[in-house]
Amino acid sequence: MKGVGFYLLLKLQKANLEMKLNSSKIILGVTLASIAFFLPKVSLAQTESSDTAEKIDEVVVVGYGTAKKKEFTGANSALKGESLEKLNLPRLDQALQGQIAGVTINTNSGSPGGGSSIRIRGLSTFGDNDPLIIVDGVIYDSEGLNALNPNDIASVNVLKDATAGIYGVRAANGVIIIETKKGKKNQKPQIEISGYSGMQQTARKMDLLNATEYAVLKNEMFANGGQSMPFNNTLLGTGTSWQDSVFQTAPIQNYNISLQGGTDRTTYSIGGSYFKQDGIVGLDKASFERWNGRVNLNTSLSPKWRLNSVLLYTHEQRSALPENGIGSVLYNTINAFPTDPIRDDQGNYTYLEEVADIINPLAQMANSYNWSKVYKFVGKEELSYSFMDNLTFTNRLNYNLAWVNDKTFSPLVWYGPGKAQNTALNENLDPTLVEIAPGVEIERGAAVYEGRSSFFDVNFESFVNYEKKIGVLHNVKAMLGTSIFSRDGENLSGTAYNIPNNSVDYADISANLAQGGYLNNTGSWQFQERLVSLFLRTEYSYANKYFLSAIVRRDGSSKFGPNSRYGTFPSISGSWVINEEKFYTYSSLPYLKMRLSYGVSGNDQIQNFAYRGLLNGEGVYVFNDIITSGVAIGRAANPDLKWETTGQLNWGLDFGWKNGVNLTMNYFRKSTKDLLFQPDVSGLLGTAGAGSYPPIINAGNVLNQGIELEASYSKRFRNGFYTTVALNGTWLTNVVQKVPEGVDFIPGAGFGVGGNVATRFQEGFPIGYFVGYRTAGVWQTQEEIDNSPVKQAGAKPGDLKYTDINGDGVINFSDDSDKEMIGSPIPDFTFGFNFNISYKGFDLSANMFAAIGQEIIRNYERQQPYANMLTSKIERWTGPNSTNSNPRLTTELTRNTVFSDFYVEDGSFLRLRNLQVGYTLNPLTAKKIGLTGLRIYVAANNLLTITNYQGFDPDIGSFGGALGAGVDYGFYPQARNIMLGFSIKL
Amino acid sequence: MRKFGIYKKGLAVIMAFALTNFGCQKFLDVNPLYTQDAENFFETPVDYQRALTGVYDLLQSSFITVWIGEIASDNSIAGGESVTDTEGLHEIDEMGHDAVNQELRNVFRWNYAGITRANYLLENQNKIDFDGKDKIIAQARFLRAYFYFELVKYFGDVPLIVDKRLGADEVTTVDRTPKAQVYAQIESDLKYAADILGWDAAIKGEVTKGASLSLLGKVYLYQDKFDKAADVLDQVINQGRYALFNDYKSLFFVANENNAETVFDVEYSGAEGGSYGCLICLEGNAAPGFHGIRQYNGPVYGDGNSYNLPTQNLYDAFDATDIRRDATCLDIDAFIAKQPNSGNIKYAKGAGGHSGFYNNKYIKRQGEIGLPDNDLTSPVNYRVIRYADVLLMSAEAHARSNSPDYSKALGYLNQVRNRVNMPALSSTGNQLIEDIWNERRLELSGEGHRFFDLVRTGKAADAISGFVVGKHELFPIPRVEIDLAGGTWKQNNNY
Repeated sequence: MKGVGFYLLLKLQKANLEMKLNSSKIILGVTLASIAFFLPKVSLAQTESSDTAEKIDEVVVVGYGTAKKKEFTGANSALKGESLEKLNLPRLDQALQGQIAGVTINTNSGSPGGGSSIRIRGLSTFGDNDPLIIVDGVIYDSEGLNALNPNDIASVNVLKDATAGIYGVRAANGVIIIETKKGKKNQKPQIEISGYSGMQQTARKMDLLNATEYAVLKNEMFANGGQSMPFNNTLLGTGTSWQDSVFQTAPIQNYNISLQGGTDRTTYSIGGSYFKQDGIVGLDKASFERWNGRVNLNTSLSPKWRLNSVLLYTHEQRSALPENGIGSVLYNTINAFPTDPIRDDQGNYTYLEEVADIINPLAQMANSYNWSKVYKFVGKEELSYSFMDNLTFTNRLNYNLAWVNDKTFSPLVWYGPGKAQNTALNENLDPTLVEIAPGVEIERGAAVYEGRSSFFDVNFESFVNYEKKIGVLHNVKAMLGTSIFSRDGENLSGTAYNIPNNSVDYADISANLAQGGYLNNTGSWQFQERLVSLFLRTEYSYANKYFLSAIVRRDGSSKFGPNSRYGTFPSISGSWVINEEKFYTYSSLPYLKMRLSYGVSGNDQIQNFAYRGLLNGEGVYVFNDIITSGVAIGRAANPDLKWETTGQLNWGLDFGWKNGVNLTMNYFRKSTKDLLFQPDVSGLLGTAGAGSYPPIINAGNVLNQGIELEASYSKRFRNGFYTTVALNGTWLTNVVQKVPEGVDFIPGAGFGVGGNVATRFQEGFPIGYFVGYRTAGVWQTQEEIDNSPVKQAGAKPGDLKYTDINGDGVINFSDDSDKEMIGSPIPDFTFGFNFNISYKGFDLSANMFAAIGQEIIRNYERQQPYANMLTSKIERWTGPNSTNSNPRLTTELTRNTVFSDFYVEDGSFLRLRNLQVGYTLNPLTAKKIGLTGLRIYVAANNLLTITNYQGFDPDIGSFGGALGAGVDYGFYPQARNIMLGFSIKL
Repeated sequence: MRKFGIYKKGLAVIMAFALTNFGCQKFLDVNPLYTQDAENFFETPVDYQRALTGVYDLLQSSFITVWIGEIASDNSIAGGESVTDTEGLHEIDEMGHDAVNQELRNVFRWNYAGITRANYLLENQNKIDFDGKDKIIAQARFLRAYFYFELVKYFGDVPLIVDKRLGADEVTTVDRTPKAQVYAQIESDLKYAADILGWDAAIKGEVTKGASLSLLGKVYLYQDKFDKAADVLDQVINQGRYALFNDYKSLFFVANENNAETVFDVEYSGAEGGSYGCLICLEGNAAPGFHGIRQYNGPVYGDGNSYNLPTQNLYDAFDATDIRRDATCLDIDAFIAKQPNSGNIKYAKGAGGHSGFYNNKYIKRQGEIGLPDNDLTSPVNYRVIRYADVLLMSAEAHARSNSPDYSKALGYLNQVRNRVNMPALSSTGNQLIEDIWNERRLELSGEGHRFFDLVRTGKAADAISGFVVGKHELFPIPRVEIDLAGGTWKQNNNY
């Protein structure tokens, strides 16, 4: 691909496009302005055609059937494949961000192959909040989304309300239905080749102290602590910028080829693709590579028999670095001292000795080796038989087969004296010695871990669709179906020691030289899950005006014990197409529909066998100096365990104006009950031992409420301009309404090292809200402290002044009585904006996303005397009235590092996610050079982010479940890309 | 005719649905593979042995007693990286602890986890019969007694659950059991263990008759049952199989583990790493790493987290000629000054406090590091009961008896002093008792006994600043545990 693979290197770092503004106001302004601009009242002259009619006749897949948008009674959002493709993003979930109201997508990691958290209408559970994802009828793990090529996707439909209940016990988090590309009937074979290639850089580096600033501030810090100053000379220049060495420019590329077409009986679509992305941190040490193959075949075997066959093959390969945690590469990068070089005079990596748990991030990257490979086949064979035109019987077999192979090589390394990550005995990389029997010691050298896992899902589904028109006005549809699903997984893993030469070249279990194989060890696991379901949907419509739909699904799940294995999930929905009424005369608004739905769905996403007490706890003791395994009860049993249920009410309005504006509004109220919890239980139950856990119980309620708006506008102007604009916004509130009895709250993420609990699940607050002390400035003088009505033990001038929340005149550090809510990771408002304009072959498109009102915990600072700091620390307190916002610097014992709002920042942001300029060759000209079509473009991702947040990236998801959201440990940021692409139709 | 055919087919389809769905009930009966269920266990002798190993596991929580037993007393300060680093210990250090304290909650929960595992085994003790079952039962009862004794020392009255596991619904029906009843159960368990177990452990690490009698003696001493204590402790002494190890300075080295002075040890291994997130999951001893010298890069010792730092007060309590002083308190600056190239040796003072001393008994030493994270795990065993302790307990029991035997008491005391070349004492009466108590401090400091000795002997208020009589003798029951048990338990006085 050299002919077309040109890299464009833009010195983006220098032309730093970051802006720090009062983001909330700006974004609100932008939103209001945009809404105002596209309000239907604005009359746009010279219009020619509108796409409203086309839009409402669109057919969407709604689960075991399809529906016209106009007739659909539920709340959904549908997207066409092109709008995803255009974003040039490696993962479907990334491409969905900001495109659909009510769907919040946060990046859990910006590293290649890193995941996202997809939340449809908020966080509703303590456990698994991932929606059910169905690709061509096949259930797909959200973690497995890496395997899908966004280019293969024809359409995405998100079922947000109770009509998702057709999927029963797994529908409570919403359902995303994805269809891959299919051919069209009577179309000549068409080959399309497309691709892009580009470079990525970090969109931002943090403002950290340089060597001179560092030395000056550290001297002050030590002097304030009564210790000798570490730097005699503070004129050290700028020193080492660890960030400049850690962040690199990395390539990204993607190529696709597809063939599609059809005869009058058969349609086909065949495709292949290759994608590769290196990491902006770590290059090939944090990379992702993917090969896809796809065959869709749809054929009429006879007038009554149809065969529909889908096969998707994927091979992925990923490498990753330690990220998003204490000790991750970026955490070390942020805290590394600018006064130390990366390598010493002999060329060896330096040790950063002054902080025991900070290691040289470049040494860390050099010594990280891991690979994970996935081979995956997903497909279905679907055979349908039409008894009559209106009665079809469909049988299908869906499968999802995946092999996952992991390998990690851990060489003998020495990061410096006392570093926890050392695997060698000393800097000569001598192996450690292990006593394997009394008096017998053997060497423990480099290790390699290998794991082989396989997962096999089979799903057999049968359903009958029936439709009958009765007279002119009545129409009845019904669908009755059954589904049986099984999932099996197996794993075998092993670790082998003493890999020759401490070299990755021999990193394979077979190469181990461990004496007698003594140290080598193996493990395995396996699981089985089963689901049996029966479902019925009946629909009735009258005169194309009134639509009514009722769904009931009964599921039996092996996740639950015999006491509560089966559940029934009903829902009902209706819509009224008002413009069909005789009295309706507003010709400027030719489409107006009202919808209402209510229903119940479930969530069974918990570990298998949680209802049983298994002896899988850890009962290990040392006898004869040898670690000896016994047994202990693992999780305590709860035979009455059942699924969570979510009752959801949705009320919606759809508008279609004559001038091309479409608007959809939804109000929802989603109440989740019987949350699956593993709360604290009394110590008397004995679940505090190693590997023992409290039982999973049903307790707790969560309420999500919100309003969603989706507006779109498309117009073709006479002068050749064509424009489409889509806007969406979501307001959401989340509150925990009940926690298990006897439990005040469920603690979540911790702050700092060994520090306080910073996030909680607690009644009356959003899930994962931040709890800590509220600051009221900085104590300026001793006099102020002495005269204060509130006593804060140990306070000295320059320390943070905390607020006495409970009003007892004392700041209580030994209990929670002076802590309160100081933030929430859940945005109040999210907003997406898509814009396309084309004129005579040129096209310009932009995609923006904003999230407003969420907070982020700054947890990447190692609060240690020698750790590097943000430049904002230069504005520290140095004497009375120097500042009222930043505390003094000192090594002495203070309470400034307890979790308070000082460590909480506004995480609101507006991001220009994609900007693209393209040119499409005139079809006639294309023909002259033997092509049907040709388009070339330049695109940029994450070009601009407006935020006040100081960290690398404000778009941070969760690395630790529902309670770990919004905690920044030095998040691996999403890259800023510049790409050049093309698309050729032969 | 054709129409009928269609309906017939339609009916067949519906029948098929019904069959797949209702015929599939069995399909959902999936059982966990290769895993034993808690309810179908104890089928073979090996099952019993493995369940017993699960009970032993909880002994490895001993590090928390080494911390609290010292930090709560006049022997140590909490130390650590900052005042919020294991905050619960700092609160205990200042006698500022209340019912919200993670470390006290750990004590409560870990000991009940051990009790629950013992009860699980004992609940099933009659399922099968085999040779050697009584020895397994005896060990389980010993361990249960040990865990209950820990709880009584910390909390006083605690719910007594015997030979059964508690269901989640039953939790709210139990109340705190008067201490005397708990002690009665402890005594009965230990007497049983002492009867069944032999003086020699079949496998290194198993508890013995000597351990059972010594712990029983200690339990009696804590109840001021001096005659009974003297009786059982003398049985241990007179058996003649235990002796004081000659070199006190290296007594706590891994190389000298399980010597003749060992009566009851908690066994550890450094061969498996772990994470700070789950200290109870470790197979190594967490205390030495936490006690280690912060960011130290010199000889002899490894580095660590500067917890549980001995006070000047403790250091000064020793005679300058007493080798136990430096074997107990490592004067870090003095030590470094004596090393070659001392100018290059660095360590850091934690912001959680610095006394100038480190706990030199349980400390990270080079050559005793754990793998793979040498900060965290250590192979150093915790000496729960040493023979020196047995001698001092017996001495105390004889001296405080209604019919005191001062010469016997003095003899035991002087055996302990003689080992470290300290001159023999010749006191009698109350002075002798005071001397024995003082000797306990000199001999056993840094090992987690001091606070409980001070409380037991009524000396806590004098020795510990901030100690409130009538309150601090017991720790508060963690409030969350009271809540989770239905909120009806009465809290200890003045908390």
